[in-house]
Amino acid sequence: MSVDDNTNDSNDAQAALMDLADQFHTQLATGEIPKMELPTRTKSNIVFDEDSDVWVYGDRTSTRTANSVSGARKLLRAAYTLNFLVQQVEEDRSSTLRELYYLSESWDNDHAAFSKQGQSNNLVEDLEIVSGVTREQFNMRPEESGATVLGPLEIREETRRGERDIHCQKDVGEGGYQIPSDVDHVEFLDHDAEFVLCVETGGMRDRLVENGFDDDYGAIIVHLKGQPARATRRITKRLCTELELPVGVFTDADPWSYRIHASVAYGSIKSAHLSEHLATPEARYIGIRPEDIVQYDLPTDPLSDSDINALESELDDPRFDSGEWREQIELQLEVGKKAEQQALASRGLDFVTDTYLPTRLDEMDLLS
Amino acid sequence: MNQQTTFGNGDDSVEDPDGEGVSSMAEEMAAAQRSISVAEFFERNKQMLGFDSRSRSLVTAVKEGVDNSLDAAEEAGILPDISVEISEGDDFYTLVIEDNGPGILPDQIPNVFGQLLYGSRFHVREQNRGQQGLGISAAVLYSQLTSGNPARIISKSIGHDTAHRCELMINTDENEPQLSSDEEVEWERDHGTRIELDMEANMRARQQMLSYIRYNSIVNPHARISYDGPKNTFTLERASDELPPETEEILPHPHGIQIGPLQKMLASTDSYSLSGFLGSEFSRVGEKSSTAILDGFRDRLFGRAGAWSATDTNDSALIDAIEDVVANKPPGAKLTFAEQIADRLLDGSGASPLTAPRYATHEVREIVAEVSESVEEDTGTVFGETVQRKATKVAWANLAEGRETDLRALADEATSAQKNGDLLTGLAQRLSNKFKDVDEHRATHDTLRDFVDRAADTTETRTDTTIGETARENITEAVWDEMRTVPDDVPKVKAVADDRDLVSALLASMREADLISPPSDCLSPVGEEGVKAGLKSEYDAELYAANTRSASVHGGDPFIAEAGIAYGGEIDENEQIDILRFANRVPLVYQPGACAMTTVTKRIQWRNYKLSQSDGSIPKGPVVLFVHVVSTNIPFTSESKDAVASVPEIEDEIEQAIRGAARKMKSHIKSADKRRERQRKETAIADIFPAFASKIASTTGREKPDIADSLARVMNNVLVTQRKTDSFDEDTLSELHDEAGFKADTSIEVWNFANDGTSSPEITVTVKDEPEEIGDGATISENGDGYEVTWTPTISSDERMRLPLITDGSRVELAVDGLPDERVTVAP
Repeated sequence: MSVDDNTNDSNDAQAALMDLADQFHTQLATGEIPKMELPTRTKSNIVFDEDSDVWVYGDRTSTRTANSVSGARKLLRAAYTLNFLVQQVEEDRSSTLRELYYLSESWDNDHAAFSKQGQSNNLVEDLEIVSGVTREQFNMRPEESGATVLGPLEIREETRRGERDIHCQKDVGEGGYQIPSDVDHVEFLDHDAEFVLCVETGGMRDRLVENGFDDDYGAIIVHLKGQPARATRRITKRLCTELELPVGVFTDADPWSYRIHASVAYGSIKSAHLSEHLATPEARYIGIRPEDIVQYDLPTDPLSDSDINALESELDDPRFDSGEWREQIELQLEVGKKAEQQALASRGLDFVTDTYLPTRLDEMDLLS
Repeated sequence: MNQQTTFGNGDDSVEDPDGEGVSSMAEEMAAAQRSISVAEFFERNKQMLGFDSRSRSLVTAVKEGVDNSLDAAEEAGILPDISVEISEGDDFYTLVIEDNGPGILPDQIPNVFGQLLYGSRFHVREQNRGQQGLGISAAVLYSQLTSGNPARIISKSIGHDTAHRCELMINTDENEPQLSSDEEVEWERDHGTRIELDMEANMRARQQMLSYIRYNSIVNPHARISYDGPKNTFTLERASDELPPETEEILPHPHGIQIGPLQKMLASTDSYSLSGFLGSEFSRVGEKSSTAILDGFRDRLFGRAGAWSATDTNDSALIDAIEDVVANKPPGAKLTFAEQIADRLLDGSGASPLTAPRYATHEVREIVAEVSESVEEDTGTVFGETVQRKATKVAWANLAEGRETDLRALADEATSAQKNGDLLTGLAQRLSNKFKDVDEHRATHDTLRDFVDRAADTTETRTDTTIGETARENITEAVWDEMRTVPDDVPKVKAVADDRDLVSALLASMREADLISPPSDCLSPVGEEGVKAGLKSEYDAELYAANTRSASVHGGDPFIAEAGIAYGGEIDENEQIDILRFANRVPLVYQPGACAMTTVTKRIQWRNYKLSQSDGSIPKGPVVLFVHVVSTNIPFTSESKDAVASVPEIEDEIEQAIRGAARKMKSHIKSADKRRERQRKETAIADIFPAFASKIASTTGREKPDIADSLARVMNNVLVTQRKTDSFDEDTLSELHDEAGFKADTSIEVWNFANDGTSSPEITVTVKDEPEEIGDGATISENGDGYEVTWTPTISSDERMRLPLITDGSRVELAVDGLPDERVTVAP
């Protein structure tokens, strides 16, 4: 997947989309039932890729055919979306996933309209997989996720209004530098960082900034804002590979947060076709670990039924199939509790920056 | 008066599964007539007779009249044509029922209309309507009691020129009809009967009245019924010109007879002996069954005789004993006589006391007689009656001596659990003592059981153990089985008829006998086609299904259950389903809740048949359910004959009948669902595919592809297209030419995409000029516009076929028959 060579992007993307349309045309012309083959997108069909250290789709595929009404409808939407994307690339315009969803309302066949945004998002991912081109290449943007970067890093962003050089401490407010939707238009100019710290919640990120953690420890603080958007994961990956910085992930201690870490470090199940592009296998989980709940006697909530199901499902998830994860998850199931990052405040507002993080970072050899 | 108070308890929900009600009622009424006036009797029992309210009485009167008319016409082979008129007068209602039946001879009119229970058919084994109810005379009586007016009757018999008209009242003291006017009149009908009754009544039971009339036409599609009542006037034309097969009266089956009718039959039979009586007046009683019944009767009357085996296998004691009692015979003959008797009696003994041959007195007597005869033949010495009697007595006494051993062995065998030897010995000894002073050791089953109980009780006390109920029963049966039915003569018919105890013993023996089921060809269900036709005449539905079961038996009576379903169409789908109940072709319109037909409907899990139902209740859906039972004896819950009693055998058959019809409904619903689903798919696909093709064409900038093939595949259709062979590649072309045997320029391509098997479409192409060549299996015909070439290929799933043709390029029109339109895609 050539993602660095921007000049050829649009041609490649368009050609890939046309290929797909051609396939459909041939199928119809030879009297076949139109179909599209996709890898099965479930956790049972992701495999660890030894070369890239990330999880990618396995060999199992499922076929989407026009044999049923719902199948035919999906392919019709695919045909309309293809048509739209080809035009969009040709005219060098861009649109958001949400715009695509609303745009479908204007298409001349009622069957072609998406009934939920999830459908259009999925379809765009399907097209990425089948065409081998990322949606950024056919100018589909997500809505800005609002995720930010703050730390000793200087970048150059190529905007539609020209290039901007930005220092991510000096040129930004306390909110930090907002990660654009297409990170491949960002160039790293210089940095003075020791490591990258990805933080799940806004509250904790603000605490770290207020306590000057970025300055004191040379940390580039990436705010994940929950399940991280692709751009957030992509920038993390680039910070790691291009600047050769170690990456730590700091989240709540609950099953959903472990999945956040997994999608940063190993790749997400939904976009495993882009794992090589988005996942940062070097990223390491800092905390909060179930062990920390016990060790620091943190204030907790009991695990809900869905928490327990999620934890049990993680025990089956190949991404969590390591001794350390298994131990932590089993411990958590045993104690039946979960804790938020900010629970650390129960030991004082500075505890996280003065004690918890330095201790953990030291244990993990992330401090030089 | 006593029978009145026990009989007339006014509870008409009494369960009467044996159908004993009607016959016992007949007797009770006969008795009642001797003691009180029939009017009083009627008054006391009117709710059981269907005359409990004014509205109900009107329905019952109509029902009695119409049932009578239908039966009479059918019996005479006439398609019934019946009219019912109800009009409201100042003081009472007037009911007129007129039919085209065979008419009633003048001298029979008083009996038919004026005497309760005339010609009582209550124990007649025939599927008829008259079985239900007391008959038209009850309506006449009700009319007279409430209006004071006589019944007006006109009847003209077949072949008579004039009709007979009379006014009739019932003398309620005598239960005798009285004619107050009696004359010959002109009547426009060829034959038929008309009865006019005034009565206190109202139309509050309009719904039941109309249901009764309407449902009658469903279950009697051969009848034409017109109704003219307050607010409603209509005629239900016949849906069929075929009379139901005549039902035959069958003789009663011994398993189904009740004591009253049996007594009556005994009193009126021409037979002298019981075996003659059984053989000629019952069905399924041949010589063997007659013997079995009479043996059972003997066992009850005389008891069975004890039969014992010899304990001493050494014959000398027996021989000595016999010789001792025979005096004045030559020693040689005497010895031979004694030896032969001993030989016969001891043959086979010495083995286990369980299997040793046993003999009762009369059996020993026979052996002695046989031996006497053969010794006399050999030696010339005569052994007379006295000698034989003495020899019999001493020989049997010798056997009976050892009965304790027999009894012990039998008790041991019968009670496998008890192996206490002392206990068994004690019991056998005591039981054997009970026989001591009994002549020929005879005992009835009850006496024997009493012996066993007494012996067991004493043994229990002595040994401080218990001998349980089952053990006692088993011992009794084991001994009873070894006892012999005695050869005594059974009483003659006359003697039995006069003695209720004897009748009851005979009845018990009849019920106990193992007999073939009664014949069922005497029944005439409506039949599946008839049920469907009947439902069709009354309901505009989408599906009519029916299921008629084969005959089954309850008590001694054969019966058949059948069910029908009308589904969909204009039947309301949001209501509980209507259950139309019928018994012997008579609609049942009262007490649905008490009826086995309703109970069974409720217990079926209708959700399995795609109807909604809350547990144990009547299902909801666009369904009318028809349930019909025919029998020579329908068991009703009460005298008013509103509901079929819950007899397990009948319920099971009703359930099977309903389920059978319901299965047909279910598969209809399923295939209708499938069709709808297919239609939905077709509509959607027909919208989606062209749009898909256009979008793809405009994206790729290529020509819009032909989607017919893909469409046919998606819809699992048979695709028929016409192609010019010049577009074929070389291989395909030569293959086609080889197969055809000529150089086809056109190929009709047939592709079966159906996933459910082989198709045989009839494909016709119309061409202007006569084709030069057509392939094998094609036929050609000329029509006004040109020539039609027709193929009927058989083509299996996913197979493709090419039908070759040379048409000189003239335009070909394609048509496909033999398949539903929606299963075919024809591409020009």
